[in-house]
Amino acid sequence: MIRGSVVVAQEICKGCELCIAACPQDSLGLSEKINLKGYRYAVLIQDNCTGCANCALVCPDAAITVFREKKHAKGTTASAVPA
Amino acid sequence: MSTNEMQSEIRIMKGNEALAEAAFRAGMQAYFGYPITPQSEVIEYLMKEQPNHDCVVLQAESEVAAINMVFGAAGAGARVMISSSSPGISLMQEGISYMASAELPCLIVNVQRGGPGLGTIQPSQGDYFQATKGGGHGDYRLIVLAPASVQEMADLVFDGFRLSEKYRNPAMILADGALGQMMEKLQLPPAGSLPYVDKPWATTGKPVGKDRRIITSLFIQPEKMEEVNLHLQKKYRQMEAEEVRFEEHGVEDADILLVAFGLVARICQKTMQLARKKGLRVGLLRPITLFPFPSRRIAEISSKVSSVLTVEMNAGQMLEDVRLAVEGRCPVHFKGRMGGMIPSPDEVLEAVEAIAENHNVELQR
Repeated sequence: MIRGSVVVAQEICKGCELCIAACPQDSLGLSEKINLKGYRYAVLIQDNCTGCANCALVCPDAAITVFREKKHAKGTTASAVPA
Repeated sequence: MSTNEMQSEIRIMKGNEALAEAAFRAGMQAYFGYPITPQSEVIEYLMKEQPNHDCVVLQAESEVAAINMVFGAAGAGARVMISSSSPGISLMQEGISYMASAELPCLIVNVQRGGPGLGTIQPSQGDYFQATKGGGHGDYRLIVLAPASVQEMADLVFDGFRLSEKYRNPAMILADGALGQMMEKLQLPPAGSLPYVDKPWATTGKPVGKDRRIITSLFIQPEKMEEVNLHLQKKYRQMEAEEVRFEEHGVEDADILLVAFGLVARICQKTMQLARKKGLRVGLLRPITLFPFPSRRIAEISSKVSSVLTVEMNAGQMLEDVRLAVEGRCPVHFKGRMGGMIPSPDEVLEAVEAIAENHNVELQR
């Protein structure tokens, strides 16, 4: 399975939770901390993201960037690239 | 692009931004406010776009200062708006009462958040009483408009300015945090579609050979003060006769009537679809004007349905107006969430099913 990861722009996120509902892996949750406007923002809560980018597609504020890990050739280390 | 060149166009926007853009297009001449979540995008957007428009946009030092600046601008005849969220609106109540007494038109926007106190920043409808029963001291009312979509966040700005100027009374747009934050497609109305009205009472300098124009809310003689009150009440009765607005879905054959305003009406529309799939005849009435309230229409429907369910994001505030309108013709039930929680369509459906099974069920209240 392809491994992925997401980065949420904390100050843009308003905690609408659409990405949480859209994630097939249940990888996302709301932060315990709040951002400058006072909203709890989306964060990765499990290390099982597949980089499917459903979250980024439903985000009304385009606050999510998705990274997918390149399939690594023998002897090289994996590097993340934007999906 | 200057204000005059703005044509009707389709955009995807946040509710707060749509409201701000619509205010420019409605010919707003002055805006005073103070930032507060979940309403801050209004003042952010206005500040950013202000250089393209002939409009004063000012962040005051507090909500109290802002509402008194609105008093001054409205007195000078400007088309003026102010926006805030629940705690900020509470701070403005003195100024709003003064404006109602002095008969000054303005548009007040309340993007409600959970209360009481500083509460939360999530959506709520807990300010229904404050908005529709006056809010400040004395016998006065605001014209209260409740949007249920980003489209209406823009459209009702035009209606708010128009009605407030027609009746020389402050008008309020009662939205909530979710409507302010959510993004939707909307058709922005063209600029210049709301003409300026004559304001022969505005304090724009003493006209030669005519009396001084005085705007005040202070009338020391009780006889005079009663006259002012009677005049205000006459205006409110006229609003009740002429300005009531509401929207209906599936009321014709309904057995259970849902009554909800704003965001909750959108949720109830989904509930209605789900219920109808299960064979429950559910209808929905959404008041667009909360004052004047569509009491007459609710009374008419209440004699045809077997029960009414009021759904709100508060402890049951509009519920009281619904009960007054129904006058005991059928049971009125209530389903509510508070403190920033939003009811889901399924949750409301559960309440509908409970009522359908036993018409005497009393929910929560």
